[in-house]
Amino acid sequence: MAHFDTEYQRLEASYSDSPPGEENLLMHVPEGAKSQWHHIENLDLFFQRVYNLHQKNGFTCMLLGEIFELVQLLFVVGFTVFLANCVDYDILFANKFVNHTDSSKVTLPDAFLPVDVCSARIRDNSFVIFVLIISGVFWLHRLVKFIYNVCCYWEIRSFYINALKMTMSELPYATWQEVQARIVEIQKEHQICIHKKELTELDIYHRILRFKNYMVAMVNKSLLPVRFRPPVLGECVFYTRGLKYNFELIFFWGPGSLFENEWSLKQEYKRGGNRLELADRLASRILWIGIANLLLCPVILVWQILYAFFSYTEVIKREPGSLGARCWSLYGRCYLRHFNELDHELMSRLSKGYKAASKYMNCFLSPLLTVVAKNVAFFAGSLLAVLIALTIYDEDVLAVEHVLSSITLLGVCITVCRSFIPDKHMVFCPEQLLRVILAHIHYMPDHWQGNAHRYETRDQFSQLFQYKAVFILEELISPVVTPIILIFCLRRKSLEIIDFFRNFTVEVVGVGDTCSFAQMDIRQHGHPAWMSEGKTEASIYQQAEDGKTELSLMHFAITNPQWHPPQETTHFISQLKERVHREATGASDTHPLSLSESEPRSLIANLLGGPSTLNSVHFGRDSSLTNHAAAGLSDGASALRSLSPISSSLHLKGSLSAAHRAGHTSAMSKAMASSGTDARTVSSGSSAWEGQLTSLVLSEYASTEMSIHALYMHELHKQQSRGEHSRHTWHRQESDESSDSVPDEVRSEPNPHSRNFPRSHTFPTTVPSPSAIPTSASATSSTMLGQGGASSQSSTQQRYSGPATDSFGAGGKVVRSARVPMGGWAEDGQAAPRRHEPLPEESSEDEMPPHVHKVNAVCVCVMGYVDVACLHCK
Amino acid sequence: MNCRSEVLEVTVEARQVEEAMLALLHTILLHRSTGKFHYKKEGTYSIGTVGTLDFDCDFIDFTFVRVSSEELDRVIRKAVSEFKDALGNSGSDGMGQISLEFYQKKKSRWPFSDECIPWEVWSIKVNVVNLANEQERQICREKVGEKLGEKVINVVEVINRHEYLPKMPTQSEVDNVFDTSLKDVQPYLYKITFQITDSLGTSVSTTMRRLIKDTLAL
Repeated sequence: MAHFDTEYQRLEASYSDSPPGEENLLMHVPEGAKSQWHHIENLDLFFQRVYNLHQKNGFTCMLLGEIFELVQLLFVVGFTVFLANCVDYDILFANKFVNHTDSSKVTLPDAFLPVDVCSARIRDNSFVIFVLIISGVFWLHRLVKFIYNVCCYWEIRSFYINALKMTMSELPYATWQEVQARIVEIQKEHQICIHKKELTELDIYHRILRFKNYMVAMVNKSLLPVRFRPPVLGECVFYTRGLKYNFELIFFWGPGSLFENEWSLKQEYKRGGNRLELADRLASRILWIGIANLLLCPVILVWQILYAFFSYTEVIKREPGSLGARCWSLYGRCYLRHFNELDHELMSRLSKGYKAASKYMNCFLSPLLTVVAKNVAFFAGSLLAVLIALTIYDEDVLAVEHVLSSITLLGVCITVCRSFIPDKHMVFCPEQLLRVILAHIHYMPDHWQGNAHRYETRDQFSQLFQYKAVFILEELISPVVTPIILIFCLRRKSLEIIDFFRNFTVEVVGVGDTCSFAQMDIRQHGHPAWMSEGKTEASIYQQAEDGKTELSLMHFAITNPQWHPPQETTHFISQLKERVHREATGASDTHPLSLSESEPRSLIANLLGGPSTLNSVHFGRDSSLTNHAAAGLSDGASALRSLSPISSSLHLKGSLSAAHRAGHTSAMSKAMASSGTDARTVSSGSSAWEGQLTSLVLSEYASTEMSIHALYMHELHKQQSRGEHSRHTWHRQESDESSDSVPDEVRSEPNPHSRNFPRSHTFPTTVPSPSAIPTSASATSSTMLGQGGASSQSSTQQRYSGPATDSFGAGGKVVRSARVPMGGWAEDGQAAPRRHEPLPEESSEDEMPPHVHKVNAVCVCVMGYVDVACLHCK
Repeated sequence: MNCRSEVLEVTVEARQVEEAMLALLHTILLHRSTGKFHYKKEGTYSIGTVGTLDFDCDFIDFTFVRVSSEELDRVIRKAVSEFKDALGNSGSDGMGQISLEFYQKKKSRWPFSDECIPWEVWSIKVNVVNLANEQERQICREKVGEKLGEKVINVVEVINRHEYLPKMPTQSEVDNVFDTSLKDVQPYLYKITFQITDSLGTSVSTTMRRLIKDTLAL
């Protein structure tokens, strides 16, 4: 032993400077925390902030916006108080004379009360004091919030800059999908989520939208008490921000809520054992919150007004459509929202539907009101005319008391009246408009189709799309109504709510507890009437209504092409896409008229396939591109995906300008360019945003593709559910007269106005000759849908009149020829509806009924797009 | 949420609580400790050694390995005995949960205090049973020993998985990851908390904090 020792030491001695020990043998290099972004504690909040900062266009914009809002609030409150208390209106109105010695002119400062009088008046008025205190608290709250947010978002800013490598200046021009792709990318390096090696897009969506998905699901399953039947008003929907806030308070984050923290439901709610006890507890909690609401009612009211003022400006900024007289209601937003759909996605698609929706609502001007309005306008107009004439003759008339004000009033009166008088040259086609709306909003109760002209449909639609005045009124009465709803309606549902959260919460590794609907699993929540027949194992309770699961899935898959869904889901998606494609080709294959076939196919091909085909359509329309297009079509959607950003932008710019030039020429090419039109409006709104064009246009295609799929799925659903008893979310309590009663596609509507033009001229009987169609059709299209087009457009219309008629003729012919078998099928389908369910994958294409059926669906798609185009071109 | 959580459940007699808890906590900590780091220049470091020793339980037929650090043992024993006392005093059905939470600190800027972000939480649920006679106690003694053996294997399996661990820190950051207060061993930063009876729900303070945070959120 000693021998070894000595030997060892001698060896050791050769290493001169280090002491004996194993330290030398094992050296480690610390990796250190190179980034501070690994392992973030609250990923929900983190992703939400990342999203918010993106939506607010970067840190500086956000900061400035917030500062200005704070100043605005101070100004508004201060100015209002000043106007109410510190101005001597008698002097202003010259009821009282100022005893100036030097001049007789009244100056503005004369009208101001002295400071001490002013402050005394304010001090005596207890209401003003109350309002001032509330707004003071409100302002302080906002100030604290502002400071807190600045600190939080500073961190997010450095996350963007250091981790995502995006500067704040390029942030407004990056789409969310790009940001998201980078987050997914850096997860591999920084491991911001420690559960998984890789994040998926769905994880991020789940975290940002965790509670919103629950709300959407609850509205979808009609769990929340938002529909009421008050005695006089009939059925109405009451869902305000105050109510929403209370719901969220109760379910998600308030004291004693169902959720333990942002990401997990409390354990006891996951077990079915003591559901009754839990329901009791929830009910009593709702009661207390209701009572608290009742007590705080006046405070909330003032708060609401202030809040409404500021969020209203916010809404206008965000949503260009909101400047009109109507807006999408809060309920509508919940009802129409897909699972896993971010705010900006929802907003953009609702804004796109806005124009059509308001047109649709305008179809229903009450004739009684029109008569009254016409006459009121007549009398007011004559008075106004006289006054104006007198004024023109001698302007001293204006100096007579109240002449100026009555002129103004009469003017306002006439303007209001005119809004009730429909344009004489305007003809509406509600059925088509509704289809256009559907292309954007993606959801609609079954019984609306075919009943678009009815007042009930309009009423129900107005629940989604309400007058802004109604919206504001509802917000204002909300503090009073909310406690009542909480105490008397929501409390009764507590057991159902407990069951809902237990049954529809799944724990996902790396995400936490989420709403199981948001998984978009066809097997668990698919609805057999929405193409998941045979795939779904859901009971009626588990099925999402209105095909929400299926449509959400398609929407998510289309907006996030990088996402890899689970196996069966992929199958479903690809099957559906393939079907849409196949029918696009199938439509032309059944009618091998070489002339006509290129049109509808290339229509769909280019809607799906994007730029390359779009180009070929415009430039090679008359060439024999039949085979070429067919080849291009088969990989249409994949082309859309695989487009590298750069090449696509080149392509798209080319094709966009092509669309520009040719877009107005014909109805059909308008249909093709419908997506281009959208992109154009966006890009013209912000011509500086060239860099964004690529992704914007891509997302445009995605939204168009989604529209097609939505229309297609609705069409299939309609065919499938025809004849069988259908469930409606809308009126689940009353099984009403639904679309089944009328074979709406072939029905001639009683109102000649609502006959849409493609339908009318596609019936062979009404068409004298194919060459005659186009002119009449284009003529009607411009007159019927009014607003013929801007003057600049009309010139192009002139120039391109030749091709326009050509293409339309071809399109019309195809539609017509497709229509004939469809009509036959419609009768056939009524006799044996179950035979034409969506075909299983392997069904051969040679069978007659599926063929026809497909053609039918495609026709409807095509028609839908003609409609979209018509709307766009206006 | 951004942390792993593992749950272990044991059913023991009252007098075995302490040893059972010690066994599990020590086992976990054995695998979550390293030797002391000795930083050198050029940004490298070497790791000291960790001694281990076998510990025989008195009330359970079980022997476990723990880090031979008296200081660490003292800290854990203190926590466990507090837990045992609380469990004894609670007088309820003898349910309790002790959790060992590994976290890392994150320095934040001025208005916020340093964040402690957990990355792994071990929850040990304890169910205390009363036994009637000596024979049952004998059986229990053996059975608990077996059970604990299984749990130890379980713990090792979990730890062997290739999952997230905080990256090895540089000298300046070593306090954010490791507990450097002990002189002979260096476990990851940990925290032991316990909870008696089933679930009390979130405490008032956390609710208030959430309420404030949520109102402040954009």
